[in-house]
Amino acid sequence: MTILFGSPAWSEALRAEINRSSEYRNAAAKWGDGFNGNVLLVFDADASLPRRHALLVELAKGACQGASFTDDPQDPRAGFALRAPFSVWKDILDRKTLAATAMLTGKLKVDGDKMTLLKHTAAHRSLIGCAASLDTEYPTA
Amino acid sequence: MDPLYAPLVAAVEGTVLTPDQLTSEHRTNYGRLFDWTPRFLVRPRTAKDVQALVGFARTHHLSLTTRGMAHSQSQLAINRDGLLVDMTSLGAIGAVDPGALTVDVEAGVIWRDLVHHLKRDGLVPRVLTNNLGVTVGGTLAMAGIGVASFQYGSQGDNVAEMDVVTGEGKLVTCSPSKNAELFWGAIAGLGSFGIITRARLTLRRMKPMTRTYYLLYDDLRVFLDDARRAMDSGRFDHLESWGAPCAQGTRPVGGVRQVFAKWFYPFHLTVEFDPGSEPDDKALLKGLRPYDNLYTDDCPTIDFLERMVPVFELWKKAGTWEFMHPWIECILPWETAADCIEQVLQDTPPGIQVGGHVLLWPAKGATSRSKNFMRPEGDNLVGFGLLPAVPQRFWGDVKERFANVSRLMLAFGAKRYLSGWVDFDADDWKAHFGARWDELVSLKRTYDPDGILNPGFLPFEAPRRTPAGTP
Repeated sequence: MTILFGSPAWSEALRAEINRSSEYRNAAAKWGDGFNGNVLLVFDADASLPRRHALLVELAKGACQGASFTDDPQDPRAGFALRAPFSVWKDILDRKTLAATAMLTGKLKVDGDKMTLLKHTAAHRSLIGCAASLDTEYPTA
Repeated sequence: MDPLYAPLVAAVEGTVLTPDQLTSEHRTNYGRLFDWTPRFLVRPRTAKDVQALVGFARTHHLSLTTRGMAHSQSQLAINRDGLLVDMTSLGAIGAVDPGALTVDVEAGVIWRDLVHHLKRDGLVPRVLTNNLGVTVGGTLAMAGIGVASFQYGSQGDNVAEMDVVTGEGKLVTCSPSKNAELFWGAIAGLGSFGIITRARLTLRRMKPMTRTYYLLYDDLRVFLDDARRAMDSGRFDHLESWGAPCAQGTRPVGGVRQVFAKWFYPFHLTVEFDPGSEPDDKALLKGLRPYDNLYTDDCPTIDFLERMVPVFELWKKAGTWEFMHPWIECILPWETAADCIEQVLQDTPPGIQVGGHVLLWPAKGATSRSKNFMRPEGDNLVGFGLLPAVPQRFWGDVKERFANVSRLMLAFGAKRYLSGWVDFDADDWKAHFGARWDELVSLKRTYDPDGILNPGFLPFEAPRRTPAGTP
């Protein structure tokens, strides 16, 4: 069933998908162990997204405790933030661009300790893979 | 007939070939990522020929690219619409000075030929690359690293003197103390400032036999600790390591299942010895903590230096020698090496062993004085190379992933080794060379003011001119 991006149902579906994913469970087993692993995904407004969306994903040791859209793009509960215009995110979620490429080329801006992120490349790839796997209705221009 | 053919033939003693006489091999290099056709391929007979070729290129506004055994994989050793100079025709080995421990060689000499020439005197170049089938000029222009580099630096650090033909056509003798700016510009200079035509190489005495301990590690960090211990111990003459995958099954990577591996780290530690003075195995390996001690091999030193030949022969027989080789090698800071290697290898399918391999080499930063061979700061460094053979039809599928491997290495503070596939933009190049970049631009203006030498790789701004007499 298609779920509207930005809705509570979408964030809940993401939480469930992460917790269903053995890829994520393995890849992120050490993510958030000893540090704040909560990640804020910030989808900046552009031609196809009228207003900014920010999604807080609460992550630790291979599991997701919660996911919810928030109004605060600097939400202090997050240990890391990944920011990009929605069109960049859309290419990633449509699997046209590798998340790693976006991150390493700076198209996806990182807030937080970049070295920690680099040490867990499989964890964020898997997280984004979970988001990409949802049957989503995206806003259109 | 090309209108420049006759004047070019008249200008040099060597041989001139036109595109119709070339094979596909001349249009590419070991990377097989590019297909460039030169206007002429020339095999010079003398350094004077090289000077004449530079003069000819300047007069007729042609680019000039030097080519040895063309083991590079980026836009090196290939030329588009200009002169491709096959330096292997300058292959004379000159006088050995057993007192000074030096030998004079022309730039096109193949290291293998030199090694066999010197063995009767019990001498050997201090540093040899794993592949001996490359030219002296080629590796000096790159840096040239090998299993003895942790002691002696790069091959470029073991040159007493060189003759270099500059981009102005001048033949200049240079050394670390004479015309040092040009000397250190030419060493690891990728042929950008001058063409090395002769080198006086520093040698060492070798013992006739080697003993190699084949240790195996299942933990990267334990291996790296032992690699540092082995370097610092002074007990070993050569240190080499591989990454070896053991396939485990399939697992999802980004939602797509692929074969994954548990990685092991073979560590080869070698000492040279005289027959009758066999090494004390226990003393040599004291303190090391391998997962397994697999094999101890005694062989003549000359055979040790040729140890990779069976591997290369296998690649040739299997046909993978003809595949694309987008090799990605780098020098990592010790502090980030383990994290970087783990991140790269977790996504590297074990199929990389088909016609390729994964190299690790512990290194010492202070052993090199080269200004152009860029490496991270620090006493201890780790060389890391992903050396795949990729069937041409798969290149489109994997190119981005390989580009990300390079980006990841850089993000961990690595410097790329430039013989492999390097897909840098102008900013990447400036970041690679740091403060050295402005000096290189200045060297280019001084020694190659027309920007004719080896274009297409380093992003120097060159005067644009239309080649004369374009047919």
